[in-house]
Amino acid sequence: MGQPGSIFCGSADHGLSRRGFLGAASAATAGTFAADMTRLDGLKNPLLAGEVKRQQKSVILLWLAGGASQFETWDPKPGRPTGGPYAKIKTNVNDVHISELLPKLAQRMNHTAIIRSLNTKIGDHGGGASLMETGRVSDPGLIYPDIGAIAARELGRRDSQVPDYVSMYTSTEGRRKGTSGFLGARYAPMFLSDKQIPDNMHRLDAISNDDHKDRAALRDLLSKRFTQSRLSEKINSHTTAYSRVHGLMSSEKLFDIEQEPESVRAKYGPRQFAQQCLIARRLVEAGTPFVKVARAWWDSHGQNFETHRELCADLDHAMSTLLDDLEERGLLENTLVVTLGEFGRTPGINASLGRDHFANAWSCSLSGCGVRGGSVYGKTDPDGNTVADGEVGAAQVFATMLEALGIDHEKEYMIGARPIPLADFGAKPIKEVLA
Amino acid sequence: MLRASLTFATILLCANLPLRAADLLPADQSMASVIDHYVDALIKTNDVQTAPQIDEYILVRRLTLDLAGRIPTTDELHAFVSADPATRRAELADRLLASPDFIDHHRNTLQLLLEYPDRRNDNDFRKYLLWAAEQNRPWNQMFRDMLAGDENDEHQKAALQFVKHRAKSLDDLTNDTAILFFGVNVSCAKCHDHPLVEDWKQDHYYGMQSFFSRTFLTKKQGLGEKFYGEVKFTTTAGVEKQAKFMFLNGSVVDDGTPELTDESRKKYDALVKKLEQDDKAEATYPDFSPRQRLVETASHKDNNEFLARNIVNRIWHRLIGRGIVDPPDQLHSENSPSHPGLLDWLARDTVEHGYDLKRLIRGIVLSNTYSRSSEWDSAAQPPSPHYFAVAIPRPLSPRQYAMSLLVATRNPPHWEQWLTKSAEDWKKERGGLEGAANGWANQFEIPGDNFQVAVDEALFFSNNDRIDNDLLRDSGDRLVGHLKAIEDPAEAVTAAFEAVNSRQPTADERKAIIEYLASRTEDRPAAMKQVVWALLTGPELRFNH
Repeated sequence: MGQPGSIFCGSADHGLSRRGFLGAASAATAGTFAADMTRLDGLKNPLLAGEVKRQQKSVILLWLAGGASQFETWDPKPGRPTGGPYAKIKTNVNDVHISELLPKLAQRMNHTAIIRSLNTKIGDHGGGASLMETGRVSDPGLIYPDIGAIAARELGRRDSQVPDYVSMYTSTEGRRKGTSGFLGARYAPMFLSDKQIPDNMHRLDAISNDDHKDRAALRDLLSKRFTQSRLSEKINSHTTAYSRVHGLMSSEKLFDIEQEPESVRAKYGPRQFAQQCLIARRLVEAGTPFVKVARAWWDSHGQNFETHRELCADLDHAMSTLLDDLEERGLLENTLVVTLGEFGRTPGINASLGRDHFANAWSCSLSGCGVRGGSVYGKTDPDGNTVADGEVGAAQVFATMLEALGIDHEKEYMIGARPIPLADFGAKPIKEVLA
Repeated sequence: MLRASLTFATILLCANLPLRAADLLPADQSMASVIDHYVDALIKTNDVQTAPQIDEYILVRRLTLDLAGRIPTTDELHAFVSADPATRRAELADRLLASPDFIDHHRNTLQLLLEYPDRRNDNDFRKYLLWAAEQNRPWNQMFRDMLAGDENDEHQKAALQFVKHRAKSLDDLTNDTAILFFGVNVSCAKCHDHPLVEDWKQDHYYGMQSFFSRTFLTKKQGLGEKFYGEVKFTTTAGVEKQAKFMFLNGSVVDDGTPELTDESRKKYDALVKKLEQDDKAEATYPDFSPRQRLVETASHKDNNEFLARNIVNRIWHRLIGRGIVDPPDQLHSENSPSHPGLLDWLARDTVEHGYDLKRLIRGIVLSNTYSRSSEWDSAAQPPSPHYFAVAIPRPLSPRQYAMSLLVATRNPPHWEQWLTKSAEDWKKERGGLEGAANGWANQFEIPGDNFQVAVDEALFFSNNDRIDNDLLRDSGDRLVGHLKAIEDPAEAVTAAFEAVNSRQPTADERKAIIEYLASRTEDRPAAMKQVVWALLTGPELRFNH
């Protein structure tokens, strides 16, 4: 890391413009930034940081795109015809066993709750992903916000100077942008598909820093009369969008892991998924309420076991490092880490040694914020064909995530005259996995 | 698959029956005066304060954005403000309605509506809409083209993309048709909290669905219709029922399906399967087409209140920013129109004049209701929007915004020829603008009910090199190039404001910018870029206000 306090560009002390006219306007703008930076700078002050952390809750969603096998992760069935070649191992929680492919996570089960009784019925990628992301079946005529948009809306600040919903999806398989639906574009994700740093975050070399700030001040000055004489949420959103630009630009460094000490980068290692987890941690630390990191290629219709040996090792390392890092920084109690995908995989092993799509009995995990670590909810039958106990659907998982974050899952958004609860009608959180 | 487990109860209309003709203003009164009569009456009854009429600068901008889908050129601005106040408004509306701009813009706007909610940009469908806009094709005929057009007709075949895009989902077909053509959103009935109204029945939802349940997509991407097939559903009381071919107002179409033996059913099943799997199979159509019957029923003079009121309300919403029934997909007894007489008068007028959308648009934009200011300087709370007493600022559609950016940033003299050029030349120029707008339009959010400007848009304008290299280029063919050559700063400021904000600067604005320019004399082009950027990114250009 560079000099202390260098994560943010320090717009607060952005010198007054050389030009008198804009000087005043620039100073006013800088003042606004300064107020915001207080909170961010506070992270470097242990006392203040603790205060901020108590208030600021966040989610890191590790999206296992394509659908991970529950047998090779959270619900192993060794020795059964459906079980595959891998053993189960003990964890640091009594009587809880997971696949041997996740040895590091096994030693961190005290942070994690497993839900083994998902029956979500929808077995195609698009439908399954949409169901799990929004917690309900899509409805003609209404586009629902996904969990990221809801978290951004409920946990973020309207004028936030950091991005409040970041979605990293660098592989091509089943690329999904995520949607803020009826919550509107204010809560749409900042989407990273082909590089680690978002588009348009960096000032062009052709324009000087002073000019960049001056023209924004000029814009604000010329817009003021128009904006103030009209009462319109839509116009206000335009003002808000522009007012966030310089803050977001200064958060560009959050996406740059070179800013981290070598020792931290070494822990995460060179692989992309882990590095994106490190970016997620940097974002969460700075106040971003929701980060999704997608890891693709779980769709193992062929060679399921080789695929999972490789991908589980990646997940095991990245998620363990993330949990450790969050814990060391005191962030884990306020950060919910979720592993989820669109569905699980079939008990039956096909002729290509693959497992196909299976939504009738599968697993996900929740760790950290609001979670009863070491708990296991629900059960599948001995071969994993059906849910034997505690069947839950996408809506309950959705309600559980919200509850873990302290968000009332029954809170309603009004769409016209129609109330839409955050979690689908009647969905109850799974109390057993909540702290 | 039917989602019969959901407790659909639906719509209806009884509480919302159109008023009798005798209660409405005379049919031969001018549309604009009828609109103002009904709107002003409600304002007066409730003693509501109104915003004043807009000035000529905002008027020409508003009209041009609504009828041409772009801001006016500096030249058009000057021509309008210096024309005879008594006649210029109607003359401008008529000129724009007859121009190629209107055709493109009308097509673009209909496309945004009809591709809802998935917004596939289908080229065939776009072409159909352009053709329909060119003909000013009556809305009832467009309705027929889109739902039950003839596959052998080039245009109607393209129109059928409406059904084909939705053919795989019976729910989408049913709901989108109900929402877009009849203003009825059946999914609202799923809401458990909503008190069920006596006249809302599952029969209506499944009745609508039964008109579509036999529709399928052939392997050749044609539309097929099965020879038989019923829609069954389970009522909330647990009784299984078979749906009738029932329209939203309860009208039932006789079931023309022939009695079929098991053997002939099997034969027809095999035929349908073949059509679905074999692209060489010859299409065969049943004599009884439920989809065709829906179109006939909904267009029939005894049942057409849904079709007519919906399109009136949609066009009103497009031009005013809020429906007479609002939201426009909630035309039901729990959500009365703010101005029932007006809605019915306009619906009657539309039917009597052959569903002529241009006529409807013209009537609305000539009303005083349309030309109220969106400013509210009073300390008093603004009146509820349903009075239409203050104009509602409307975000530009991505295409309106893109076209406006392109018009604003060309050097103003480029456009001077436009008013005098032949329609053919003008059409070509406009086509070029449409093409150029493609690459910009996809940067912007499509405005919906809960529209917000995305921060991505602000970042794009702040840091993307296309802004600097294209819109703000200081070459002679661009606004910045034009401005830097103007020596008198006051004149340059006026030119910039007219090009971008379609008005003259206020004294304060002029003074502030001249001061700024004076501080940047060492690099005039850079200073001009700064000013133009600040105007281009302002809310005044972003909204139709």
